[in-house]
Amino acid sequence: MPEIVVKYEDKIIERVVSEKKRLTVGRTSDNDIVLDNRGVSRKHAQIEFNDNAAVIIDNESLNGTFVNNRRVTEEILRDGDTITIGKFSLEYYTETRRPETGSGLDGTMVLNTKKQKELVARDRSEKEIVKRMGGNVLMGEDNTDFSEFRLDRDVTTIGKAKFVHVHAKGFLLSGIQAKIVKENDQTAIINLGRKGKTRVNGEEIDRQVLKNGDIIQVGKSVYRFLEGNR
Amino acid sequence: MKIALVSDIHANLEALQSVLKDIAKEGAETVHFLGDAVGYGCSPNECVALLKKMCDIRLLGNHDYAAMGLEATTSFNQVAQTSMEWTLANLSRKTVSLLADFEMQASFEDYHLVHASPDYPEDWNYILNQEQAAEQFEHFKEKVCFVGHSHLPMIFSVDGDGQVVSAVKSELVFEENKKYIVNVGSVGQPRDNDARACYVILDTVEKCLRYRRVEYDITAVQKKMRQAMLPDFLVERIAVGR
Repeated sequence: MPEIVVKYEDKIIERVVSEKKRLTVGRTSDNDIVLDNRGVSRKHAQIEFNDNAAVIIDNESLNGTFVNNRRVTEEILRDGDTITIGKFSLEYYTETRRPETGSGLDGTMVLNTKKQKELVARDRSEKEIVKRMGGNVLMGEDNTDFSEFRLDRDVTTIGKAKFVHVHAKGFLLSGIQAKIVKENDQTAIINLGRKGKTRVNGEEIDRQVLKNGDIIQVGKSVYRFLEGNR
Repeated sequence: MKIALVSDIHANLEALQSVLKDIAKEGAETVHFLGDAVGYGCSPNECVALLKKMCDIRLLGNHDYAAMGLEATTSFNQVAQTSMEWTLANLSRKTVSLLADFEMQASFEDYHLVHASPDYPEDWNYILNQEQAAEQFEHFKEKVCFVGHSHLPMIFSVDGDGQVVSAVKSELVFEENKKYIVNVGSVGQPRDNDARACYVILDTVEKCLRYRRVEYDITAVQKKMRQAMLPDFLVERIAVGR
């Protein structure tokens, strides 16, 4: 049975497995897949299933429907295609990729709208923070001496030395363990020291372009990167 | 106890090796480094590795800071920028990780160490005259502040009345009621018309210091620099000490 994996900024909100011939996608609650965000039209699109084929049809939405980053009005979906609607992505798979759990009576899973709302609310408050701070922001999550730090320099140093811009905690840590640099339109973090490690979303890195929401760990200190111009 | 203070090696390995031999001969047990391991010269990786091995305190200079990509080189003159581009292209990952543990300033007993100036070490301000020195004395609590950066060996002192005096001397005995800023000169690129490598030996028991000048194989360094395609101006200046 086909499966739609709904993600918000790379985080899975829900997996939808349906026996329905038609799934509607939109902002209002009467849709089968509710995407509660202002970038999504009320009746944004629909996915129709015929025999073994699935088709996404855009309902002349304001901000458009994209398949694999190409704007479409009507498109046959292939296994693994990514549909982008606003900040949401819907991944289409011809077969369910894991055992069905918690399916409703009609075979459609109920969207976890509470979690989705939390994500949208957090997104709004983060937008307020970057607007107030006027650019990229490092949020102190754990073992940090600030809650918000504005990344307004071309280079921001992180480490345990007194002279770095962002102090990190931890025994095994270099004076300048890492730097965050602005490169053209991107922001990247680069590990410099060898005593400690720099991790982004749990992965040890030498150099990594940062995306909004990335979790940065330097020593025992944890920061969240908020992008200013999204 | 004799302590050697070396600064501004600027990737000149032969000068550093000769100085380290002289330090051993002079009987100094400890060596502290005041910044600018790299830039201008052609052996940055070897110099940083050797400084890491030989020096107890290791400070960052503006060239080291720029070589780690922590600062734009827009404030550098054209020749310094060209050499920094060469350095950035030739600095190993390991060297960067070693520099990542160098400090901005340090102190021991009654002595303070910083590359440029104690007020704002990261601003890399020069202390070249009595006026500039006068502003700095209140920014360190120790009796003596050792600096590098200008490559000009000289001593500034202030007495109890706030009178600042500058001097170029080969020896100095610290006086009781005075504070000092001592520029230890440069090992790898002296600029006081003396091409020999320059450093300082501090005697913490006798409360005095001596400048040392050490000859090294300048021709060999120049040959390596030419092979590395470094600017002629940099190759020539190490032979004349300017």
